[in-house]
Amino acid sequence: MSLQILNARLLDPATGSDAIGGVFIDKGVIKEFRTGTGVSFKDAKETIDAGGLCLAPGLIDLRAKTGEPGEEHKETLATASRAALSGGITSLVVMPDTRPVIDDVALVQFIAERGRETAFARVYPAGGLTVGLAGEAMSEIGLMAEAGAVLFTNGDWPVASAQVMKRVMTYAASRGAIVMSRPDDHTLAGSGVMNAGEFAARHGLSGIPIEAEWLGAARDVVLAEQTGCTLILDQVTSQRTLDIVDVARGRGAKVFTTVAAHSLFFNELDVGDYLTYCKVNPPFRSEKARKTLIRALQEGAIDAVVSAHDPQPPEEKRLPFGEASFGAAGLETVLPCLLTLVAEGELSLLEALAPVTIGPASILGLPQGRIAKGAPADLILFDAGKPWLCDRDHLLSRSKNSPFDGRRLQGRVLRTFVGGKTVFER
Amino acid sequence: MAAAHADYTFRHDHLLGIEGLHPLDIKHVLDLSDTYADATRAGRRPDPILTGKTVVNLFFENSTRTLSSFEIAARRLGADVISMPVAQSSVKKGETLIDTAMTLNAMKPDALVIRHSASGGAKLLSRKVDCAVINAGDGTHEHPTQALLDLLTIRRTKGRIEGLKVVICGDIAHSRVARSTTMALHLMGARVHLCGPRTLIPPGTDTWGAESAGTDFDRALPGADVVMMLRLQLERMNGSLLPSQREYFRYFGLTADRLALAKDNAIVMHPGPMNRGVEIESSIADGERSVITQQVEMGVAVREAVLHLLAGGRA
Repeated sequence: MSLQILNARLLDPATGSDAIGGVFIDKGVIKEFRTGTGVSFKDAKETIDAGGLCLAPGLIDLRAKTGEPGEEHKETLATASRAALSGGITSLVVMPDTRPVIDDVALVQFIAERGRETAFARVYPAGGLTVGLAGEAMSEIGLMAEAGAVLFTNGDWPVASAQVMKRVMTYAASRGAIVMSRPDDHTLAGSGVMNAGEFAARHGLSGIPIEAEWLGAARDVVLAEQTGCTLILDQVTSQRTLDIVDVARGRGAKVFTTVAAHSLFFNELDVGDYLTYCKVNPPFRSEKARKTLIRALQEGAIDAVVSAHDPQPPEEKRLPFGEASFGAAGLETVLPCLLTLVAEGELSLLEALAPVTIGPASILGLPQGRIAKGAPADLILFDAGKPWLCDRDHLLSRSKNSPFDGRRLQGRVLRTFVGGKTVFER
Repeated sequence: MAAAHADYTFRHDHLLGIEGLHPLDIKHVLDLSDTYADATRAGRRPDPILTGKTVVNLFFENSTRTLSSFEIAARRLGADVISMPVAQSSVKKGETLIDTAMTLNAMKPDALVIRHSASGGAKLLSRKVDCAVINAGDGTHEHPTQALLDLLTIRRTKGRIEGLKVVICGDIAHSRVARSTTMALHLMGARVHLCGPRTLIPPGTDTWGAESAGTDFDRALPGADVVMMLRLQLERMNGSLLPSQREYFRYFGLTADRLALAKDNAIVMHPGPMNRGVEIESSIADGERSVITQQVEMGVAVREAVLHLLAGGRA
């Protein structure tokens, strides 16, 4: 079944191309694309006239949590996939912190299989870096990688022991495996619940000091440099962390950085009157920090923007702020969040799209995330300026804990294709 | 009892904190509290304006003085009072704050007085119930009735609040009293200076209205009209926030020598319960310049006024 999408604004961050044109898709891959007005292709069985709307590669999300297996009331791979596709995400890496933890071959296979059977988005399992994420014993990194795990992480519980981390990274490097770690010195972050500072102090909430991120980052990048392991520094929130990464890169460390989309949109003041939907870890930082993250995106200093999707049901959030769980639903708001920043003039369209397409594709070595001959036809058609009101009751995620609830956003996906098939239409 | 200003109405549904109050609100509460305090001193029983009303005290943290103060205040005004010792009850069975609140709300109380170990606990409750919520202390956030009773005590002793120099000394970081009282004093025109070990002074105290926050108690004291000592939680020593009680007392304990640095007529306050010999010398606590027991007395009057304003006017 062949398909042509014509009269579209083709956006390909991989090549920096932004021009009207058309794409010809056959057998799930992009066979041909051409820019220029009036472009069309012979032999196409079906034609979609995009009417000038944007056509870009589908988003690749390096960090989504679901509740499958074990906490399906929060989210399943199927519900996460539905939410992802409606937000323009066509590939997602799912975190290993489930019940049980994804820390052996059978469980990696289970996730991969369930993804194929129940999800229309491409689902990639991330393996647990240590057994049970306990931070003590190394998991079967090599075997899990063979079974399809694309990266290894301890998720929300970064390995505390530097010795364990060094050994695991040394081993991972020898197997060519990618390690993802959230920079966090937990002995300093302790029982904090939001960004440390004046706002936290005034509200009587214990703080997570930014120094905890710097110390964690410093340790992880030094180990990356020493071991040669490829490291993804997960959900960075400050310029100084990026500076630490820069130094290590200069010394030859293979380090990538990610930022959670919500950290580009909110600051600590959004916690307001103890709004638990704004309780995330790493926490929303200062407005100044948020601005520096956006500048870093403009400069291309951030490799990937992630959803940090972490579905939490009401019983985990309808609690006093200090007692509520961390986490925000994010699959459906990554692209609108970025497009809103574009509408506000903070980013160009290509700057906004690069860290959710070619950026993560390059880290993982995936063929999608670009408009290129032979690439999988994972594409999204979107209206970059469409204003809409985010209402949690209309979100497709099984859990509705979105900090964007009630926010006006700009930019919305109208149609999502995976392997050339329409898997979502608004 | 007549309010002091005929053209003024207390427009709040709850008392969740000092933040959000206008100086006129505070003045109004203090004026009304004065009349209650006077009545009690004169041996008069106030009008039973809360007859037929139900006040529920929901204390998720143990407390003796605040709980009894609210109970006495509500009873004096004729309310039916139920005190739920939640610290030992259904919450242990996994019931959440909101579940407990909804259950109680269904029984249609007129006011809920809540103390909870989580900052924001009272605010959360107020979103879920139909009746007035009074914050009797939420975590390390606010304790508004304590602030109001502190102000009442100061105003009755000094005759005014505006222009006074108040030094508050101790664990500022973990004190809900420090937050509420600083904000209230600032709103009423006092100059507040905070003092304590560097590890227990949080950032941004200027946003509460404090003029300074320092670590030298001796330098803060000269010219002080009021010296308020905070309770030092002895657990702070374990968390490496302080070296020892001995060292704390050396730099931050209120002794006769130190008190001599303040104005001759300076008064000494403490929200209680006191650690004698840790933050305050016994002779000072019991001395003639101490108004600590008067604070407790004013606590009942302030709570009568607050219950009057929040539960009294409702049909």
